Amino acid sequence: MTILEKLKKISHKEPRIRHFCIQTIRFKKFLENARALLDLFDDGHEKVLGEYIFDRHYVVSLIDGVVERLGMMVYDACVLVPKSGEGLYVTYDKHKLTAGNLIGGTPGSLASAPSASDDPEYQLLSDVLQWFNGKHAPDDTTVMGFMKQIFFSVIQFDAIGGIESMDVMKTRALFENSGVAATDMGIYLVDLWKDAQALPEERRSINDFNSIPLKHLLMDVSGKEAKTGSENIQNGVAWVAAVSEYQLSLNSLKPDFQFRLETLASGYEHSDFIFIFADKSAILDKILPAGFHIESTDYGQFAWYLDMSAKNIEDSLMIIGRNLLS
Amino acid sequence: MSEQPLKIMVIDDENIVGKRLKPALEKTGDIVETFVDGETALARFEQEPFDIVVTDIRMEKIDGIEILEQILAKSGRTKVIIITGYATVEIAREALSKGAFDFIAKPFKPADLRVIIERATKELRS
Repeated sequence: MTILEKLKKISHKEPRIRHFCIQTIRFKKFLENARALLDLFDDGHEKVLGEYIFDRHYVVSLIDGVVERLGMMVYDACVLVPKSGEGLYVTYDKHKLTAGNLIGGTPGSLASAPSASDDPEYQLLSDVLQWFNGKHAPDDTTVMGFMKQIFFSVIQFDAIGGIESMDVMKTRALFENSGVAATDMGIYLVDLWKDAQALPEERRSINDFNSIPLKHLLMDVSGKEAKTGSENIQNGVAWVAAVSEYQLSLNSLKPDFQFRLETLASGYEHSDFIFIFADKSAILDKILPAGFHIESTDYGQFAWYLDMSAKNIEDSLMIIGRNLLS
Repeated sequence: MSEQPLKIMVIDDENIVGKRLKPALEKTGDIVETFVDGETALARFEQEPFDIVVTDIRMEKIDGIEILEQILAKSGRTKVIIITGYATVEIAREALSKGAFDFIAKPFKPADLRVIIERATKELRS
């Protein structure tokens, strides 16, 4: 089948499931860009603390990298939630201006960022880190503060892949009518690639899906599947999981429990991660194993764990699955 | 009997590199001179050869490759270590093929450069 024929086929199928799949994949790109920004920050931090020899080119390329990745995050956010675009781009332009001022201005102009060195390159890097996540800088002027704002824009209005989070009934109807309810658990299961092209002709079981993170998540739940399944079905299906071989996006459908888990379990430690957003009422300490970075905000809780080994991601997903689904 | 201190030349058009490297390399008793342009450095080398030359690869007027060629033409025993910037792996490879002893990528720790210098010293004294 040619690409044109595939696209033609896709365009004739259920658009909302396809939209859901595309948005889920886009959200993963969004997280990748956020992660790259954190990596840049860590790199700069390591250089300023670790007696490194670097020059101005390093700092300027760090600033350029931050601006570029931040722009990619804003773009992803606009694709996920188009109505957020105008406000985010206004703030993004301010950050571009700050970046330009850092490159073209006098190092040390951010007075609250004292450097251990008088050298302009080291002072400039100190200023950049202050701009990124300065403890004394107002939250709305830092890159980290802006990243949180972007996350809120996406999470608040796009809890499950472009479908309004408050519209639970419509969401359930969409998945119910698409025939993606699993036969053996109270969960909707969407194959990110196949279901975008053609909806399943018959109901599938968990075992029909070749998804590594899904298998990890359910590893310690399977023994209780009858209980979990029947209880959930009586109360309405509570979860939707969108999967590919290495990716899992798990979303709560309970109106009073907002929870989103995104993970990549590819076997490459540097790229594998677990990201979670949960509402303020969720007791993450009882759901997550040790090792997660957790940030509580007025809007909800973010938790993430980066650079996970295969064993670590398997154990973590198993514990999370047991705590969430049993 | 203690060994003679090494004579090390550092060339980088970014002043900060020489400024930071000089005290770090002098800790072991070696003699370090720093330069911010190739012309002055080569003129100094004419007066007196150095055991080790550490040079940035990208500089205006005379770049690191040219410095490498001129140094090796004047003194075959001098070990030349190239400092590369970002995304200059190909140029670093070219430098190695032209006789550079090794290369190190910015940003780097002085201790990492010291390891390379120690290897070069062993060859010089063998």
